[in-house]
Amino acid sequence: MSQQILDIVAQVHASGDYQPLIDVIPYAGVIGLEIERFGDEMVFRLPANPENIGNPTLPAIHGGVLASFMELSAVFQLITALPQPRLPKIIDFSVDYMRAGQLRDTFAMCKVERQGRRVANCSIKCWQGKRSEPIASSRAHFLFDDGE
Amino acid sequence: MSQQRLEKCERFLQALPHARKLQLKTISAEEGRVTMELPVQAQLQGPAANTYLHGGVLTTLVDTACSGAVICMLDPYELSPTLDLRIDHMTTACADKPLFVDAECYRKSRNVLFTRATVYQDSPEQPIAYAIATFMRLGAEITDKAFRNMVEGEA
Repeated sequence: MSQQILDIVAQVHASGDYQPLIDVIPYAGVIGLEIERFGDEMVFRLPANPENIGNPTLPAIHGGVLASFMELSAVFQLITALPQPRLPKIIDFSVDYMRAGQLRDTFAMCKVERQGRRVANCSIKCWQGKRSEPIASSRAHFLFDDGE
Repeated sequence: MSQQRLEKCERFLQALPHARKLQLKTISAEEGRVTMELPVQAQLQGPAANTYLHGGVLTTLVDTACSGAVICMLDPYELSPTLDLRIDHMTTACADKPLFVDAECYRKSRNVLFTRATVYQDSPEQPIAYAIATFMRLGAEITDKAFRNMVEGEA
């Protein structure tokens, strides 16, 4: 991992302003992820964007875009939850799709279920209208590998 | 026949705004199998590292390729939304080399389609990620006629 990335992670960890990190993750910019903070809570927003459509007949957001949105949400949530600035590396990711993602703003929240020394387990819920009616749910494992 | 399947997959990709955005291409297609490519592109190359810094674009590639394998399995085309998807990342991909994915629909039942995929850059023997995904069959009659005709090339 390059020193520049580690510096940015340290910077956003200290300031709570995640834009510099969003700016260096190219696909985050491609799909258009945004972060809103309410005290210590973080809500992630994916604004409606016609370029994110994967099914033009409904139309519906591409399943891969939703999965990436949730994975990124977990990355940012983990960086915030950690006492020291570290960049989590994805090990595996599993997503269940419950409803079609319509062309409107999408939200996500992430819960760190277990934070170990080297591995973290997260669950992420994604919704559009009501939080109680998720459009997708996922879980992910991340590795903290400071050796690289 | 494989040429027809390849054209069917290409028409499908061209109809998906996000697949167009990522310039996804079908390399080959046969019954229940497809190989797709994510070309090297400036919008996915960051200033700080020669990696994607996050696995997301691989998930999009896998989801799309598994849908392509489903298209190569179903005749006529049926709209088949993803039910679930799991991806295991074994190593980090480089952003300055194209990504390839071999996807296979290995089982078709009345209601559900089962797929698996391998993502690689240098060779399929050096996989970057493995994935499995299942898709729901909605049936040919529920599928939007204009969209089905477009994918089938009958529009």
